[in-house]
Amino acid sequence: MPNFTRAKVLMYGFVSLWSLFVMLPLLWMVLASFKTKRELFMDPLGLPGNWDTGAWGRAWDVGMGRFILNSVLVTGASVAVIIVVSGMAAYVLARSDNRWLRLVYLLIVAGFAVPVQAVLVPLYQMISGAGMLNSLGAIVLPYAAYGIPFTTVLFYAFFLDFPKELEEAARLDGCSRIRTFFMVILPLSGPAVASAAIFQAVFIWNEFVLALLMLNNPDIKTLPVGIIALGGEFTSDWPAIMAGLSIAILPILAIFVMAQKYFVRSLAGLGK
Amino acid sequence: MSGAPSGHPAAASAKRPQYSARLSAFILLTPALLLCSVFIFIPAVLAIAGSFFTFGITSRAWEPAGFSNYTKAFADPIFWTALKNNMIIVLGSITFQIGIGTILAAILDRGLPRSATVFRTIIFAPMVVSAVAVALIWQVILDPNVGALNAIIKSVGLSPPQLGWLGDPTISIWIVLMIACWQYTGFMMVLILAGLQGIPKELYEAASLDGARGLKAFRHITLPSIRNVLLVAVLITTIGGFKVFDLIYATTQGGPANATQVLGTYIYLQAFNLGNMGYANAISVVLLCIAVLLGWLQLKSSRRA
Repeated sequence: MPNFTRAKVLMYGFVSLWSLFVMLPLLWMVLASFKTKRELFMDPLGLPGNWDTGAWGRAWDVGMGRFILNSVLVTGASVAVIIVVSGMAAYVLARSDNRWLRLVYLLIVAGFAVPVQAVLVPLYQMISGAGMLNSLGAIVLPYAAYGIPFTTVLFYAFFLDFPKELEEAARLDGCSRIRTFFMVILPLSGPAVASAAIFQAVFIWNEFVLALLMLNNPDIKTLPVGIIALGGEFTSDWPAIMAGLSIAILPILAIFVMAQKYFVRSLAGLGK
Repeated sequence: MSGAPSGHPAAASAKRPQYSARLSAFILLTPALLLCSVFIFIPAVLAIAGSFFTFGITSRAWEPAGFSNYTKAFADPIFWTALKNNMIIVLGSITFQIGIGTILAAILDRGLPRSATVFRTIIFAPMVVSAVAVALIWQVILDPNVGALNAIIKSVGLSPPQLGWLGDPTISIWIVLMIACWQYTGFMMVLILAGLQGIPKELYEAASLDGARGLKAFRHITLPSIRNVLLVAVLITTIGGFKVFDLIYATTQGGPANATQVLGTYIYLQAFNLGNMGYANAISVVLLCIAVLLGWLQLKSSRRA
């Protein structure tokens, strides 16, 4: 094969090496979760002797199911609010050449620059002052707020290219602007909605610092704060920690592998 | 906002749509503005205001402090360590994540297009995992007793650091940087790959006729064509490097002896562990200024694209 040059070998080598570097820690996590404590201590590298599933049971009993459910609820609710609220705002802004609305657009975009770490103190005081600590609302509303700037920009660009004939037809049929948005614009914005939803879901699913601050009650914890408690729960039970992490990570990785095209397209959108 | 065309003579019906268009614009905009104001803009203003006061986590009394929180920060060696560590993460991430990401992307785009999807999926995968989980996996891998890394190092006859990888203050921040590269290099690769796929194939064909292939084509065609994507990647990495929190909190909590403290974790420590809310706000304002400056640069660069 004349095609199989030294350059090709080098390229394959480099890419394979990095892929291995990425995969090995995840593989080790899964293997370690099937070992006994003693086995892991004596032989950290070997395969598990008899694939002990006890660690998975111990980890599950900490409440992994509850954490996953909370994360699903929080992510679902936040993403839904972000899509509808950002879509409504972007629609008005994209259909107007009013100078004041131009300023409103810039204001919303400016929100993208504010990192949540820089406003932890006031946010905590506001939410604890409102008596909303340890409620899912305490987390859904700020998550929604921090997702709005980027999503509004994304929808704004999408709506600018959106054919105006359809909404004019709806307008002539007597549809109000609000009805037009919900009945015509939003249903026809599938690609933009999917892209924005995946992007925000990845970040909200993994969000940690606000959840750490606002959710102390184990019944209400989301997955990232739930798993950080694993370390405290199992002081030297490493297999249980690895099993808990496997329970947290493997479903997401499975979803990612099945829909990787959409994930990649959505997250690469940040570069545009 | 265009008023509906009024073919009918009735003046009232020509006026109403104008009014209702304005009202509906208002209704559609309000939720976004309300949420952003309550959870982004008002807290930002309160953080700036609060930085000029001294107050604790539960105390209602705010005592005016002038600029003392800022002078305290600039005289605080841990504040400077934190800022330095943010810089290490930023510069290290730019070098390694974008450097390796560019090489990987170029290889997948030009060299191995047929196996690109498989490799892309593997290398990008850590991006969708929570940084806390990533931190915990690595914490166990790097553990002196049960960790895989020490077992490998001992098996080839070398000796690992006495205090543990994350316990040795001279290397711990570099270990954290390595974990960040493990997680985010794939993201950079995908960003850059999207830029590479926009380069017209004819450019390469023309260059190949002129004798520019392989590395030469990479230098003279690929790199100049993705300059803008690289700039955006640098800004995203820089912003991310200043915002880093989860990874540090879940691996070292800023330790040992504050060796891996960054602005995010130091704000958290001062505010919620030590109860110095005013001081935490002053550090927050420093972070806010850096983030706003970088965000402004990002906005400018994305408009040019």
